[in-house]
Amino acid sequence: MLPNMSKKTKRSILCWLALSPIICVIVFPFAVMFFTSVKPRQEVFSFPPTWLPSEFIWQNYIDMWHATKFSDALINSLYVSFSATFITLLVSIPAAYALARYHFAAKSSYRLFLLITQMLSPIVLVIGLFRLIVWLGLIDSVNSLVLIYAGFNIAFAIWMLQNYFQTIPKDLEESAWMEGASFLQGLTKVFLPMAIPAIAVTAMFTFINSWNEFVLALTVLRTEENYTLPIQVYSLVGGRYTVEWHHVMAAALVASLPAAILFSWLQKKLVTGLSSGAVK
Amino acid sequence: MNRNLPLYLILPSLLLALFVISYPLYELINLSLSDVNRFGKVRGYIGLENFSYIFEDPLFIDAALRTVVWTVAVVGGTIIFSIPIAIILNTEFHGRGIARTILMLPWAISLPMTAIVWRWSLNGEFGMLNATLMSVNIIDSPIVWLAQSASAFPVQIGLGILVSIPFTITIFLGGLSSIPLDLYEAAKMDGANSWQQFKRITYPLLRPFINMAVVLNVIYVFNSFPIIWVLTQGGPNNETDILVTYLYKQAFSFGHIGQASAVSIAMFTVLLIFTIFYARMVMKNEK
Repeated sequence: MLPNMSKKTKRSILCWLALSPIICVIVFPFAVMFFTSVKPRQEVFSFPPTWLPSEFIWQNYIDMWHATKFSDALINSLYVSFSATFITLLVSIPAAYALARYHFAAKSSYRLFLLITQMLSPIVLVIGLFRLIVWLGLIDSVNSLVLIYAGFNIAFAIWMLQNYFQTIPKDLEESAWMEGASFLQGLTKVFLPMAIPAIAVTAMFTFINSWNEFVLALTVLRTEENYTLPIQVYSLVGGRYTVEWHHVMAAALVASLPAAILFSWLQKKLVTGLSSGAVK
Repeated sequence: MNRNLPLYLILPSLLLALFVISYPLYELINLSLSDVNRFGKVRGYIGLENFSYIFEDPLFIDAALRTVVWTVAVVGGTIIFSIPIAIILNTEFHGRGIARTILMLPWAISLPMTAIVWRWSLNGEFGMLNATLMSVNIIDSPIVWLAQSASAFPVQIGLGILVSIPFTITIFLGGLSSIPLDLYEAAKMDGANSWQQFKRITYPLLRPFINMAVVLNVIYVFNSFPIIWVLTQGGPNNETDILVTYLYKQAFSFGHIGQASAVSIAMFTVLLIFTIFYARMVMKNEK
């Protein structure tokens, strides 16, 4: 190595070299997605396969949008994820506030209950959930997903919010109450604005969980117009004789973008948020 | 202050969680002890017959053993890869922010989408994995990866590891940032080399974070459905089935509702044991 290279530069080269195998494996599927999605149809099924298309067919994205009824699935996914996130926050913020601020008899048993619900994933309860949905008359309805995603996200949301709420000094809302503010005013005018970062991170987590959920949507949704994105894209692959892979890859890429952007933007916050919660 | 106020505040969340989680659990217990027809109609109480049925089914035993292999291999592999990656990402180097973002990418894409993309990449004839491996002379003829369990299952394990790494390094990065730097300074003064520093400082102080990552990953991986379902649906010949895919097929392909409910209850019991471990760990950390 060059002698006049700074210590940090040398270290950087070593670090990137050490990370390069895993980076290749991570980037590989993204490259496959992108290059397949812009290939002319006949080149998708040509042997031997090549990375680069002979020409970039951006039209594939427009064709995919119509052929896969992408906008319907997108609207369903947005509806389910936003509604589930809203309901989760609506019930979790008061509960997290109670756990962070008060001592009461049922506190530790409630935390244990939440811990158990956090361990369960929809797949383990899938038959019971299915019967619950049948009983509610919500088979093939995206509203059943809203309800269940909200229920499954509560534990994580309360835990995340509570950890953060504890770091907000109690004096702030108490002095507001001393000055004559009502209970609700103290909370909405003084406490909630302080809690916005935690609420935002929790909301995004809930949103992404709902956006990505697979097994329940697969079980509950029956007709194409109700499919969420993962189910719509899966239905283009599963049980078909010919799969239009260039459409599938274009759809997968577009469906993944929102969460990917949120994640890279949030990455730093996640590390601090999760680790302060994970081991306290 | 009204002394019932905290209870009112937790009530909405409690009701929703009870409704969505406890009611299905209650149904499952009932169904697992009942004779149920394929349309879900209960024909009577039959005690533990559903349980003896599944425990005598060789496919269930295979799936259960494979779930152990799957969980141990994925969680073990994830931890082994994540520790050095987290240590590298914790050192200062040019472009660290970019490297961190790249390493987080698998997390941003949902499991079904990841699995769909890999299903295409693994295609024996047109898949880019074969093409790439052949172009760098690692293999000399195409492999039909998903056609036999001997290659499909290891590929699924590898994919399981890949998607578990981001979450795990996130936990480890949090742990590493809590280790005071002067400990390393002092160790260097005493002439400790990098391996000694890892063994004596990093590893012991990272230990609680490793435990936490193991328990949480065990729970996630044990429950993980999309990778195996999308790539092989547990096939060929049920040779890549794990408990969740076995359960799903029993319930929704064969209509064996009672037996499938018994599988659910058995899995719930295992998860409960993990949860007790996890709860004890959380409580110990809080002290």
